[in-house]
Amino acid sequence: MTADDGADVALGSLRLGGRMGDGGQGEVFDVEGPGRLLYKSYREPHKVAADRLAHLVDLRQQLTGADRDRLDREAAWPLCRVVDGGRVTGFLMRRAPDAMTWRDARGDARLTELSYLLRAPKAAWRAVPQPSPSERFALVLAVVELFDRMHSLGLVVGDVSQANVLWTVHPGPAVHLLDCDGVRLAGRPPVLTQADTPDWHDPMALPGAVTVDSDRYKVALVIGRVLAQDAYAAPGRPLTLLAGVLDDRREAAVRALWQQAAGPRGGRPHLGQWRAALAGRRTIKLMAAQPAPRPEVDRTKLDGPRRRGRISLRD
Amino acid sequence: MQILPFYLLCDESGSMTGEPIDAINGALPDLHHEISTNPTVADKTRFCLIGFSDTATVLQPLVDLSDIDEVPGLAAGGLTSYGEAFRTLRNSIEADVAALKTQGHEVYRPVAFFLSDGIPTDHAWEQAYKELSASRYCPKIIAFGIGEAEESVIAQVANFRAFMQQDSSVSPAQALREFASSLTRSIVRSAATMAADGGNGFTLAVDDTVPGFSTVSLDKL
Repeated sequence: MTADDGADVALGSLRLGGRMGDGGQGEVFDVEGPGRLLYKSYREPHKVAADRLAHLVDLRQQLTGADRDRLDREAAWPLCRVVDGGRVTGFLMRRAPDAMTWRDARGDARLTELSYLLRAPKAAWRAVPQPSPSERFALVLAVVELFDRMHSLGLVVGDVSQANVLWTVHPGPAVHLLDCDGVRLAGRPPVLTQADTPDWHDPMALPGAVTVDSDRYKVALVIGRVLAQDAYAAPGRPLTLLAGVLDDRREAAVRALWQQAAGPRGGRPHLGQWRAALAGRRTIKLMAAQPAPRPEVDRTKLDGPRRRGRISLRD
Repeated sequence: MQILPFYLLCDESGSMTGEPIDAINGALPDLHHEISTNPTVADKTRFCLIGFSDTATVLQPLVDLSDIDEVPGLAAGGLTSYGEAFRTLRNSIEADVAALKTQGHEVYRPVAFFLSDGIPTDHAWEQAYKELSASRYCPKIIAFGIGEAEESVIAQVANFRAFMQQDSSVSPAQALREFASSLTRSIVRSAATMAADGGNGFTLAVDDTVPGFSTVSLDKL
Protein backbone atom coordinates (compact mmCIF):
# COMPACT_ATOMS: atom_id res chain seq x y z
CA MET A 1 0.00 0.00 0.00
CA THR A 2 1.21 3.49 -0.75
CA ALA A 3 -0.52 6.62 0.34
CA ASP A 4 1.62 8.81 -1.85
CA ASP A 5 -0.25 8.45 -5.15
CA GLY A 6 -3.44 9.84 -3.60
CA ALA A 7 -5.60 6.86 -4.59
CA ASP A 8 -8.25 5.72 -2.12
CA VAL A 9 -7.10 3.01 0.30
CA ALA A 10 -9.34 0.28 1.67
CA LEU A 11 -9.75 0.33 5.46
CA GLY A 12 -9.33 -3.44 5.49
CA SER A 13 -5.84 -3.16 4.00
CA LEU A 14 -4.56 -1.08 6.92
CA ARG A 15 -2.89 -2.61 9.94
CA LEU A 16 -3.95 -0.22 12.66
CA GLY A 17 -1.87 0.22 15.78
CA GLY A 18 -2.66 2.10 18.96
CA ARG A 19 -4.99 5.05 19.28
CA MET A 20 -2.92 8.22 19.22
CA GLY A 21 -5.58 10.82 19.75
CA ASP A 22 -9.24 11.44 20.30
CA GLY A 23 -10.91 14.59 19.06
CA GLY A 24 -14.43 15.79 18.65
CA GLN A 25 -14.74 14.63 15.06
CA GLY A 26 -12.83 11.40 15.19
CA GLU A 27 -9.95 9.34 16.46
CA VAL A 28 -6.40 9.05 15.19
CA PHE A 29 -4.67 5.67 14.95
CA ASP A 30 -1.13 4.66 14.22
CA VAL A 31 -0.78 2.72 10.96
CA GLU A 32 1.74 -0.10 11.14
CA GLY A 33 4.21 -0.36 8.31
CA PRO A 34 6.40 2.10 6.45
CA GLY A 35 5.78 5.79 5.96
CA ARG A 36 5.06 6.92 9.54
CA LEU A 37 1.39 7.15 8.70
CA LEU A 38 -1.63 7.93 10.84
CA TYR A 39 -5.27 7.18 10.12
CA LYS A 40 -7.94 9.68 11.13
CA SER A 41 -11.18 7.83 11.52
CA TYR A 42 -14.33 9.95 11.43
CA ARG A 43 -16.85 9.34 14.16
CA GLU A 44 -19.73 10.17 11.82
CA PRO A 45 -18.61 9.20 8.29
CA HIS A 46 -22.07 9.89 6.87
CA LYS A 47 -21.55 13.59 7.57
CA VAL A 48 -18.24 13.74 5.69
CA ALA A 49 -18.17 15.57 2.34
CA ALA A 50 -16.08 12.93 0.58
CA ASP A 51 -15.60 15.00 -2.58
CA ARG A 52 -14.11 17.89 -0.64
CA LEU A 53 -11.68 15.53 1.03
CA ALA A 54 -10.78 14.35 -2.48
CA HIS A 55 -10.12 17.98 -3.47
CA LEU A 56 -7.58 18.32 -0.68
CA VAL A 57 -5.87 15.08 -1.72
CA ASP A 58 -5.84 16.23 -5.37
CA LEU A 59 -4.44 19.60 -4.46
CA ARG A 60 -1.37 17.93 -2.97
CA GLN A 61 -1.03 15.64 -5.97
CA GLN A 62 -0.97 18.64 -8.28
CA LEU A 63 1.95 20.23 -6.48
CA THR A 64 5.35 19.60 -7.94
CA GLY A 65 8.34 18.19 -6.07
CA ALA A 66 9.64 21.00 -3.88
CA ASP A 67 6.21 22.47 -3.19
CA ARG A 68 4.79 19.09 -2.25
CA ASP A 69 7.76 18.35 -0.01
CA ARG A 70 7.28 21.65 1.72
CA LEU A 71 3.55 20.98 2.27
CA ASP A 72 4.39 17.57 3.72
CA ARG A 73 6.98 19.15 5.98
CA GLU A 74 4.68 21.88 7.20
CA ALA A 75 1.30 20.19 7.42
CA ALA A 76 -0.31 16.86 8.30
CA TRP A 77 -2.06 16.97 4.92
CA PRO A 78 -4.59 14.30 3.85
CA LEU A 79 -2.53 11.98 1.62
CA CYS A 80 -5.41 9.77 0.52
CA ARG A 81 -8.90 8.87 1.57
CA VAL A 82 -9.69 5.66 3.41
CA VAL A 83 -12.81 3.85 2.26
CA ASP A 84 -14.84 0.98 3.62
CA GLY A 85 -17.68 -0.54 1.65
CA GLY A 86 -17.96 2.46 -0.65
CA ARG A 87 -18.03 4.99 2.17
CA VAL A 88 -15.19 7.33 3.09
CA THR A 89 -14.33 6.64 6.73
CA GLY A 90 -11.28 8.87 7.10
CA PHE A 91 -7.89 9.61 5.60
CA LEU A 92 -4.20 8.91 5.98
CA MET A 93 -1.68 11.56 6.95
CA ARG A 94 1.92 11.66 8.05
CA ARG A 95 2.91 11.73 11.68
CA ALA A 96 4.27 15.05 12.95
CA PRO A 97 8.08 15.31 12.91
CA ASP A 98 9.76 13.72 15.94
CA ALA A 99 11.35 17.06 16.74
CA MET A 100 7.85 18.37 17.46
CA THR A 101 7.23 15.99 20.34
CA TRP A 102 8.50 16.05 23.91
CA ARG A 103 8.68 13.43 26.64
CA ASP A 104 6.68 14.08 29.77
CA ALA A 105 7.72 12.99 33.26
CA ARG A 106 6.38 9.49 32.55
CA GLY A 107 8.28 9.16 29.31
CA ASP A 108 5.19 9.48 27.12
CA ALA A 109 5.62 11.36 23.84
CA ARG A 110 3.47 14.47 23.64
CA LEU A 111 3.00 16.91 20.79
CA THR A 112 4.78 20.24 21.18
CA GLU A 113 1.73 22.40 20.70
CA LEU A 114 1.58 26.15 20.32
CA SER A 115 0.13 26.32 23.86
CA TYR A 116 3.61 25.84 25.31
CA LEU A 117 4.69 29.12 23.71
CA LEU A 118 1.81 31.07 25.18
CA ARG A 119 2.54 31.17 28.89
CA ALA A 120 5.50 31.11 31.26
CA PRO A 121 6.83 27.55 31.59
CA LYS A 122 5.36 25.35 34.33
CA ALA A 123 7.07 22.52 36.17
CA ALA A 124 4.74 19.93 34.65
CA TRP A 125 6.08 20.63 31.14
CA ARG A 126 9.60 21.70 31.92
CA ALA A 127 10.85 19.19 29.34
CA VAL A 128 9.54 21.41 26.53
CA PRO A 129 12.61 23.38 25.43
CA GLN A 130 11.71 27.05 25.44
CA PRO A 131 12.89 29.12 22.48
CA SER A 132 15.27 32.04 22.78
CA PRO A 133 13.78 35.43 21.84
CA SER A 134 15.26 35.18 18.35
CA GLU A 135 13.91 31.64 17.91
CA ARG A 136 10.51 32.82 19.10
CA PHE A 137 10.63 35.52 16.46
CA ALA A 138 11.61 32.95 13.82
CA LEU A 139 8.67 30.72 14.81
CA VAL A 140 6.26 33.61 14.33
CA LEU A 141 7.75 34.27 10.93
CA ALA A 142 7.38 30.58 10.04
CA VAL A 143 3.67 30.69 10.93
CA VAL A 144 3.17 33.79 8.77
CA GLU A 145 4.94 32.15 5.83
CA LEU A 146 2.94 28.93 6.24
CA PHE A 147 -0.38 30.79 6.15
CA ASP A 148 0.85 32.94 3.28
CA ARG A 149 1.49 29.77 1.26
CA MET A 150 -1.90 28.35 2.18
CA HIS A 151 -3.63 31.51 1.03
CA SER A 152 -1.64 31.62 -2.17
CA LEU A 153 -2.90 28.10 -2.89
CA GLY A 154 -6.45 29.48 -2.62
CA LEU A 155 -7.02 27.85 0.76
CA VAL A 156 -8.53 29.01 4.03
CA VAL A 157 -7.27 27.27 7.17
CA GLY A 158 -10.35 27.92 9.33
CA ASP A 159 -9.78 26.65 12.85
CA VAL A 160 -6.48 27.90 14.24
CA SER A 161 -5.76 27.18 17.89
CA GLN A 162 -3.17 26.46 20.54
CA ALA A 163 -3.53 22.76 19.76
CA ASN A 164 -3.25 22.56 15.98
CA VAL A 165 0.03 24.33 15.35
CA LEU A 166 3.15 22.40 16.40
CA TRP A 167 6.64 23.85 16.62
CA THR A 168 10.25 23.07 17.29
CA VAL A 169 13.56 24.90 17.48
CA HIS A 170 15.66 21.80 16.72
CA PRO A 171 17.49 21.68 14.42
CA GLY A 172 16.00 25.06 13.49
CA PRO A 173 12.73 26.90 14.10
CA ALA A 174 9.88 25.23 12.20
CA VAL A 175 6.12 24.85 12.50
CA HIS A 176 3.64 22.18 11.46
CA LEU A 177 -0.11 22.48 10.94
CA LEU A 178 -2.46 19.76 12.20
CA ASP A 179 -6.14 19.05 11.50
CA CYS A 180 -5.72 19.89 7.83
CA ASP A 181 -9.04 18.32 6.87
CA GLY A 182 -10.48 21.54 8.30
CA VAL A 183 -8.70 23.49 5.54
CA ARG A 184 -11.00 24.36 2.65
CA LEU A 185 -10.87 26.04 -0.73
CA ALA A 186 -11.76 29.71 -0.20
CA GLY A 187 -15.50 30.17 -0.51
CA ARG A 188 -16.28 26.45 -0.22
CA PRO A 189 -17.50 24.51 2.81
CA PRO A 190 -15.07 22.20 4.64
CA VAL A 191 -15.01 18.39 4.76
CA LEU A 192 -16.91 18.55 8.05
CA THR A 193 -18.53 21.52 9.74
CA GLN A 194 -16.23 22.70 12.44
CA ALA A 195 -16.59 25.01 15.39
CA ASP A 196 -13.92 27.51 16.33
CA THR A 197 -11.82 26.76 19.39
CA PRO A 198 -12.79 28.95 22.36
CA ASP A 199 -10.47 31.98 22.68
CA TRP A 200 -9.61 31.69 18.97
CA HIS A 201 -12.70 33.00 17.24
CA ASP A 202 -12.89 36.12 15.16
CA PRO A 203 -15.32 38.43 16.99
CA MET A 204 -16.17 40.28 13.77
CA ALA A 205 -16.79 37.24 11.58
CA LEU A 206 -20.34 36.38 10.62
CA PRO A 207 -21.46 33.32 12.58
CA GLY A 208 -20.13 30.21 10.89
CA ALA A 209 -18.27 32.20 8.24
CA VAL A 210 -14.67 31.20 7.61
CA THR A 211 -12.80 33.50 5.27
CA VAL A 212 -9.32 34.59 4.32
CA ASP A 213 -10.01 37.62 6.52
CA SER A 214 -10.85 35.47 9.56
CA ASP A 215 -7.65 33.53 8.92
CA ARG A 216 -5.77 36.83 8.93
CA TYR A 217 -7.32 37.70 12.28
CA LYS A 218 -6.24 34.35 13.72
CA VAL A 219 -2.70 34.76 12.40
CA ALA A 220 -2.65 38.10 14.21
CA LEU A 221 -3.67 36.22 17.37
CA VAL A 222 -0.81 33.74 16.90
CA ILE A 223 1.72 36.51 16.30
CA GLY A 224 0.63 38.64 19.26
CA ARG A 225 0.22 35.71 21.62
CA VAL A 226 3.58 34.11 20.81
CA LEU A 227 5.51 37.38 20.91
CA ALA A 228 3.82 38.38 24.18
CA GLN A 229 3.81 34.85 25.67
CA ASP A 230 0.18 35.51 26.51
CA ALA A 231 -2.43 32.88 25.63
CA TYR A 232 -5.29 35.35 25.75
CA ALA A 233 -3.91 38.51 24.11
CA ALA A 234 -6.20 39.88 21.40
CA PRO A 235 -6.11 42.82 18.99
CA GLY A 236 -7.69 45.86 20.54
CA ARG A 237 -6.12 45.09 23.89
CA PRO A 238 -2.64 46.18 24.97
CA LEU A 239 0.19 43.97 23.77
CA THR A 240 3.03 43.41 26.24
CA LEU A 241 5.85 41.94 24.18
CA LEU A 242 8.53 39.71 25.65
CA ALA A 243 11.89 41.42 25.96
CA GLY A 244 14.24 40.92 23.06
CA VAL A 245 11.84 39.42 20.51
CA LEU A 246 11.57 42.52 18.31
CA ASP A 247 13.78 45.53 17.65
CA ASP A 248 12.24 49.00 17.78
CA ARG A 249 11.42 49.20 14.09
CA ARG A 250 9.75 45.78 14.01
CA GLU A 251 7.93 46.47 17.25
CA ALA A 252 6.42 49.68 15.89
CA ALA A 253 5.35 47.90 12.70
CA VAL A 254 3.88 44.92 14.59
CA ARG A 255 1.99 47.15 16.99
CA ALA A 256 0.45 49.08 14.10
CA LEU A 257 -0.76 45.86 12.45
CA TRP A 258 -1.98 44.48 15.80
CA GLN A 259 -4.13 47.59 16.06
CA GLN A 260 -5.32 47.21 12.48
CA ALA A 261 -6.32 43.58 13.14
CA ALA A 262 -8.86 44.84 15.69
CA GLY A 263 -10.61 46.68 12.89
CA PRO A 264 -13.62 45.66 10.88
CA ARG A 265 -13.99 42.53 8.83
CA GLY A 266 -12.24 42.77 5.51
CA GLY A 267 -9.51 45.11 6.72
CA ARG A 268 -7.26 42.78 8.68
CA PRO A 269 -3.57 42.94 7.75
CA HIS A 270 -2.73 40.40 5.07
CA LEU A 271 0.18 38.05 5.37
CA GLY A 272 2.40 40.19 3.14
CA GLN A 273 1.96 43.09 5.53
CA TRP A 274 3.00 40.92 8.47
CA ARG A 275 6.01 39.68 6.50
CA ALA A 276 7.06 43.23 5.77
CA ALA A 277 6.55 44.26 9.41
CA LEU A 278 8.57 41.30 10.68
CA ALA A 279 11.27 41.87 8.07
CA GLY A 280 11.94 45.19 9.75
CA ARG A 281 12.48 47.07 6.55
CA ARG A 282 12.52 50.79 6.67
CA THR A 283 9.29 52.07 5.19
CA ILE A 284 9.16 54.95 2.79
CA LYS A 285 6.27 57.28 3.23
CA LEU A 286 4.50 57.65 -0.10
CA MET A 287 2.59 60.81 -0.88
CA ALA A 288 -0.53 60.32 -2.91
CA ALA A 289 -0.25 62.24 -6.19
CA GLN A 290 -2.15 65.52 -6.04
CA PRO A 291 -4.74 65.92 -8.80
CA ALA A 292 -3.97 68.73 -11.23
CA PRO A 293 -5.89 71.91 -10.34
CA ARG A 294 -9.01 72.29 -12.37
CA PRO A 295 -8.80 75.11 -14.91
CA GLU A 296 -10.86 78.12 -14.26
CA VAL A 297 -13.98 78.02 -16.36
CA ASP A 298 -14.92 81.13 -18.29
CA ARG A 299 -18.68 80.94 -17.94
CA THR A 300 -19.20 83.80 -20.40
CA LYS A 301 -17.92 81.57 -23.17
CA LEU A 302 -20.01 78.59 -22.20
CA ASP A 303 -23.27 79.98 -21.03
CA GLY A 304 -24.06 82.48 -23.82
CA PRO A 305 -27.25 82.26 -25.90
CA ARG A 306 -27.22 79.45 -28.43
CA ARG A 307 -27.61 80.16 -32.11
CA ARG A 308 -28.54 76.97 -33.80
CA GLY A 309 -29.48 78.28 -37.21
CA ARG A 310 -30.99 75.90 -39.70
CA ILE A 311 -29.21 73.50 -41.99
CA SER A 312 -30.64 73.07 -45.41
CA LEU A 313 -30.81 69.43 -46.44
CA ARG A 314 -31.40 70.22 -50.08
CA ASP A 315 -28.86 71.34 -52.57
CA MET B 1 -9.97 34.83 33.41
CA GLN B 2 -13.02 32.64 33.78
CA ILE B 3 -12.32 29.79 36.23
CA LEU B 4 -14.13 26.48 36.80
CA PRO B 5 -13.31 25.01 40.25
CA PHE B 6 -13.53 21.24 40.77
CA TYR B 7 -13.82 19.68 44.25
CA LEU B 8 -13.17 16.01 44.92
CA LEU B 9 -14.88 14.89 48.13
CA CYS B 10 -13.57 11.48 48.90
CA ASP B 11 -14.71 9.09 51.61
CA GLU B 12 -11.70 7.93 53.63
CA SER B 13 -13.58 6.10 56.34
CA GLY B 14 -12.24 2.83 57.76
CA SER B 15 -14.09 0.73 55.19
CA MET B 16 -12.01 2.28 52.42
CA THR B 17 -8.88 0.67 53.87
CA GLY B 18 -6.66 -1.25 51.47
CA GLU B 19 -7.39 -1.49 47.76
CA PRO B 20 -10.06 1.23 47.54
CA ILE B 21 -7.95 3.95 49.14
CA ASP B 22 -4.89 2.76 47.24
CA ALA B 23 -6.83 2.96 43.98
CA ILE B 24 -7.79 6.58 44.57
CA ASN B 25 -4.32 7.56 45.75
CA GLY B 26 -2.89 5.78 42.71
CA ALA B 27 -5.23 7.62 40.35
CA LEU B 28 -4.43 11.12 41.62
CA PRO B 29 -1.05 11.28 39.82
CA ASP B 30 -2.83 10.31 36.57
CA LEU B 31 -5.33 13.10 37.03
CA HIS B 32 -2.57 15.56 37.85
CA HIS B 33 -0.46 14.42 34.91
CA GLU B 34 -3.27 14.73 32.40
CA ILE B 35 -4.28 18.21 33.46
CA SER B 36 -0.98 19.80 34.44
CA THR B 37 0.58 19.04 31.03
CA ASN B 38 -2.36 20.62 29.23
CA PRO B 39 -1.83 24.34 29.87
CA THR B 40 -5.17 25.41 28.44
CA VAL B 41 -7.06 23.12 30.82
CA ALA B 42 -4.84 24.02 33.78
CA ASP B 43 -5.35 27.76 33.16
CA LYS B 44 -9.11 27.56 33.37
CA THR B 45 -9.71 24.99 36.08
CA ARG B 46 -8.74 24.59 39.73
CA PHE B 47 -8.74 21.45 41.83
CA CYS B 48 -9.37 20.84 45.53
CA LEU B 49 -9.21 17.52 47.42
CA ILE B 50 -11.27 16.99 50.56
CA GLY B 51 -11.10 13.72 52.50
CA PHE B 52 -13.87 12.90 54.95
CA SER B 53 -14.48 10.32 57.66
CA ASP B 54 -15.32 11.41 61.26
CA THR B 55 -14.24 14.84 60.19
CA ALA B 56 -13.46 16.39 56.85
CA THR B 57 -10.05 17.77 55.90
CA VAL B 58 -9.03 19.95 53.00
CA LEU B 59 -6.05 17.86 51.90
CA GLN B 60 -5.24 19.97 48.86
CA PRO B 61 -6.57 23.52 48.91
CA LEU B 62 -7.92 24.75 45.59
CA VAL B 63 -4.97 24.98 43.20
CA ASP B 64 -3.87 25.22 39.58
CA LEU B 65 -2.69 21.62 39.15
CA SER B 66 0.31 22.71 37.12
CA ASP B 67 1.60 24.56 40.19
CA ILE B 68 1.98 21.51 42.45
CA ASP B 69 4.35 18.54 42.50
CA GLU B 70 2.74 16.51 45.26
CA VAL B 71 -0.56 16.12 47.02
CA PRO B 72 -1.38 14.73 50.49
CA GLY B 73 -2.72 11.20 50.18
CA LEU B 74 -5.99 9.88 51.49
CA ALA B 75 -5.69 7.71 54.63
CA ALA B 76 -8.51 5.46 55.76
CA GLY B 77 -9.94 5.40 59.28
CA GLY B 78 -13.04 6.36 61.25
CA LEU B 79 -16.69 6.71 60.41
CA THR B 80 -18.53 8.41 57.54
CA SER B 81 -19.72 11.91 58.34
CA TYR B 82 -21.41 13.34 55.27
CA GLY B 83 -22.37 16.39 57.32
CA GLU B 84 -18.72 17.29 57.93
CA ALA B 85 -18.00 16.80 54.23
CA PHE B 86 -20.75 19.17 53.11
CA ARG B 87 -19.89 21.82 55.73
CA THR B 88 -16.24 21.75 54.76
CA LEU B 89 -17.13 21.90 51.07
CA ARG B 90 -19.40 24.88 51.62
CA ASN B 91 -16.81 26.77 53.68
CA SER B 92 -14.06 26.03 51.17
CA ILE B 93 -16.14 27.17 48.23
CA GLU B 94 -17.11 30.42 49.94
CA ALA B 95 -13.48 31.25 50.71
CA ASP B 96 -12.13 30.03 47.36
CA VAL B 97 -14.61 31.95 45.23
CA ALA B 98 -13.86 35.12 47.19
CA ALA B 99 -10.11 34.57 46.77
CA LEU B 100 -10.41 33.95 43.01
CA LYS B 101 -12.48 37.09 42.60
CA THR B 102 -9.90 39.07 44.53
CA GLN B 103 -7.32 37.86 42.01
CA GLY B 104 -9.48 39.36 39.27
CA HIS B 105 -11.02 36.11 38.04
CA GLU B 106 -14.61 35.37 37.32
CA VAL B 107 -15.83 32.05 38.67
CA TYR B 108 -18.25 29.52 37.24
CA ARG B 109 -20.45 27.55 39.58
CA PRO B 110 -18.13 24.96 41.18
CA VAL B 111 -18.39 21.27 40.42
CA ALA B 112 -18.10 18.67 43.19
CA PHE B 113 -17.37 14.99 42.61
CA PHE B 114 -18.56 13.14 45.71
CA LEU B 115 -17.47 9.58 46.39
CA SER B 116 -18.56 7.33 49.22
CA ASP B 117 -18.46 3.62 50.00
CA GLY B 118 -20.98 3.66 52.79
CA ILE B 119 -24.03 5.18 54.35
CA PRO B 120 -23.67 8.34 56.41
CA THR B 121 -23.04 7.62 60.08
CA ASP B 122 -24.05 11.09 61.24
CA HIS B 123 -27.70 12.00 61.63
CA ALA B 124 -27.54 15.70 60.94
CA TRP B 125 -26.00 15.40 57.47
CA GLU B 126 -29.20 16.39 55.71
CA GLN B 127 -29.20 19.73 57.49
CA ALA B 128 -25.60 20.38 56.32
CA TYR B 129 -26.61 19.33 52.80
CA LYS B 130 -29.56 21.74 52.88
CA GLU B 131 -27.27 24.57 53.92
CA LEU B 132 -24.90 23.72 51.12
CA SER B 133 -27.76 23.60 48.61
CA ALA B 134 -29.08 26.92 49.81
CA SER B 135 -25.68 28.60 49.74
CA ARG B 136 -24.87 31.24 47.18
CA TYR B 137 -22.29 29.14 45.32
CA CYS B 138 -23.96 25.76 45.67
CA PRO B 139 -21.92 23.42 43.47
CA LYS B 140 -23.14 21.03 40.83
CA ILE B 141 -22.73 17.65 42.55
CA ILE B 142 -21.93 14.40 40.79
CA ALA B 143 -22.16 11.55 43.31
CA PHE B 144 -20.62 8.09 43.05
CA GLY B 145 -21.45 5.21 45.36
CA ILE B 146 -19.37 2.07 45.76
CA GLY B 147 -19.38 -0.85 48.19
CA GLU B 148 -21.99 -0.38 50.89
CA ALA B 149 -23.23 2.98 49.69
CA GLU B 150 -26.98 3.27 49.36
CA GLU B 151 -28.43 4.22 46.01
CA SER B 152 -31.19 6.39 47.45
CA VAL B 153 -28.68 8.38 49.51
CA ILE B 154 -26.29 8.83 46.57
CA ALA B 155 -29.24 10.03 44.47
CA GLN B 156 -30.18 12.43 47.25
CA VAL B 157 -26.66 13.87 47.43
CA ALA B 158 -26.33 14.39 43.68
CA ASN B 159 -27.95 17.34 41.97
CA PHE B 160 -26.44 16.77 38.54
CA ARG B 161 -25.71 13.08 38.02
CA ALA B 162 -25.34 9.95 40.17
CA PHE B 163 -23.66 6.60 39.65
CA MET B 164 -23.63 3.33 41.61
CA GLN B 165 -21.02 0.63 41.33
CA GLN B 166 -22.34 -2.37 39.45
CA ASP B 167 -22.62 -5.45 41.64
CA SER B 168 -19.73 -7.89 41.62
CA SER B 169 -18.85 -7.29 37.95
CA VAL B 170 -16.05 -4.93 39.00
CA SER B 171 -14.03 -4.56 42.17
CA PRO B 172 -14.23 -1.31 44.15
CA ALA B 173 -10.64 -0.57 43.09
CA GLN B 174 -11.48 -0.95 39.38
CA ALA B 175 -14.59 1.17 39.84
CA LEU B 176 -12.54 3.85 41.57
CA ARG B 177 -10.03 3.98 38.73
CA GLU B 178 -12.93 4.50 36.33
CA PHE B 179 -14.31 7.14 38.67
CA ALA B 180 -11.01 9.03 38.59
CA SER B 181 -10.80 8.76 34.80
CA SER B 182 -14.31 10.10 34.51
CA LEU B 183 -13.40 13.05 36.74
CA THR B 184 -10.32 13.76 34.62
CA ARG B 185 -12.34 13.61 31.39
CA SER B 186 -14.90 15.92 32.90
CA ILE B 187 -12.26 18.52 33.76
CA VAL B 188 -10.54 18.31 30.36
CA ARG B 189 -13.71 18.32 28.27
CA SER B 190 -15.43 21.05 30.25
CA ALA B 191 -12.36 23.27 29.97
CA ALA B 192 -12.26 22.69 26.22
CA THR B 193 -15.61 24.47 25.88
CA MET B 194 -14.62 27.48 28.01
CA ALA B 195 -13.41 30.82 26.72
CA ALA B 196 -11.12 32.84 28.97
CA ASP B 197 -13.43 35.84 28.75
CA GLY B 198 -16.57 33.85 29.46
CA GLY B 199 -17.82 34.02 25.87
CA ASN B 200 -20.95 31.93 25.60
CA GLY B 201 -20.47 30.17 28.92
CA PHE B 202 -19.46 26.55 28.93
CA THR B 203 -20.86 23.06 28.95
CA LEU B 204 -20.22 20.93 32.03
CA ALA B 205 -19.11 17.69 30.44
CA VAL B 206 -19.90 14.70 32.65
CA ASP B 207 -20.01 11.16 31.30
CA ASP B 208 -23.53 9.82 30.84
CA THR B 209 -22.22 6.38 31.68
CA VAL B 210 -19.09 5.32 33.54
CA PRO B 211 -17.67 1.80 33.09
CA GLY B 212 -18.31 -0.28 36.20
CA PHE B 213 -21.15 1.98 37.33
CA SER B 214 -24.82 2.18 36.59
CA THR B 215 -26.33 5.61 36.16
CA VAL B 216 -28.85 6.47 38.85
CA SER B 217 -31.98 8.28 37.83
CA LEU B 218 -32.38 11.67 39.47
CA ASP B 219 -36.11 11.90 39.00
CA LYS B 220 -36.34 14.30 41.89
CA LEU B 221 -35.06 17.00 39.54
